[in-house]
Amino acid sequence: MHDDEPSLNIPSLLTLAVVSFFVIRWFFNRDDGPAGASRPRGRGNAVDPAQVEQISQMFPQLSTRDIMWDLQRNGGSAAATTERILTGRGLETPPPSFQPQVAIPSTNATVPQATSTAPTKVDGQDLISRYNLSEKIVSEKDAETSTASSASSWSQNKDERQRLLQKRRDEMILAARRKMMQKNQDNPQ
Amino acid sequence: MGSSIAQKRLFHEYKNLSTNPPEGITAGPVSEDDMFYWEALIQGPEGTPFEGGVFAAELKFSKDYPLSPPTMKFVGGGVWHPNVYPNGTVCISILHPPGDDPNHYEHASERWSPIQSVEKILISVMSMLAEPNDESPANVEAAKMWRERRAEYEQKVRDEVRKGLGL
Repeated sequence: MHDDEPSLNIPSLLTLAVVSFFVIRWFFNRDDGPAGASRPRGRGNAVDPAQVEQISQMFPQLSTRDIMWDLQRNGGSAAATTERILTGRGLETPPPSFQPQVAIPSTNATVPQATSTAPTKVDGQDLISRYNLSEKIVSEKDAETSTASSASSWSQNKDERQRLLQKRRDEMILAARRKMMQKNQDNPQ
Repeated sequence: MGSSIAQKRLFHEYKNLSTNPPEGITAGPVSEDDMFYWEALIQGPEGTPFEGGVFAAELKFSKDYPLSPPTMKFVGGGVWHPNVYPNGTVCISILHPPGDDPNHYEHASERWSPIQSVEKILISVMSMLAEPNDESPANVEAAKMWRERRAEYEQKVRDEVRKGLGL
């Protein structure tokens, strides 16, 4: 029973080996060592936005700036950055002087054509008629309470989200209108 | 294939803008069935003739967003401003792709790149309302008025603000 040495069992050795492999690999890549010869270096160290996007989608809590900093330092290897995050070491905060260079693939840089497919509502109308708020103007009178209530709103439910967004929008317009009317009363032109 | 990335990213931005909205900004898709068509409300910055106003704009995204910037257009009543075309289309550097700079006066860092966001666009537009860029007038008439007859310009803006709120 006593030959079951708890500090040197196989799983812990394996973990150590894997972790040190990544550490060493990262170290050599950073130092531009021969181990990094196969990865796509060059391109002026610009960061591929697709990789940044890919990683920030996996880890939305991380700032894109940190991701770009790490990608730039490891020569643009999304796998290395992912491994780094997954091993729990986290990403370093880039120095304030860090200016991310982004490589834009020239192939699909199609400028969005302002297609006017959707028959937009008639221009030249005010926001009250645009969003059908005339009833609310009448009904709210002096209900000036509900302004700060929905500063932030999110729901897991799609329809609820839509409703919350609409509510915030309506309140923003109505609050501005109230304020403007107040101002006009205070000092009529 | 790329459109799902665009959709995910737009959804993510929508969520951020809803849970943590910047002061004076409301934005989101008109319907979540089409994540590429948004509507935004921007409050007029204080201390400017736009103060007190709320301005609606539509944002149209391309399928390869965030590689390409969206287009932005004020709707429902014009915004009288040197950098807004008479039809409402907004013309500022953050909405221009990095390669597209016919006038060579914009710095690359000011222009669109995937690290920008809807939020940054809307904040830029807000500060554009406060400080017109006289170098590239989209509305020549408004630019001229802003330069030469400032009082008239400001009065016109204030009138439009009130009209926009149905007053």
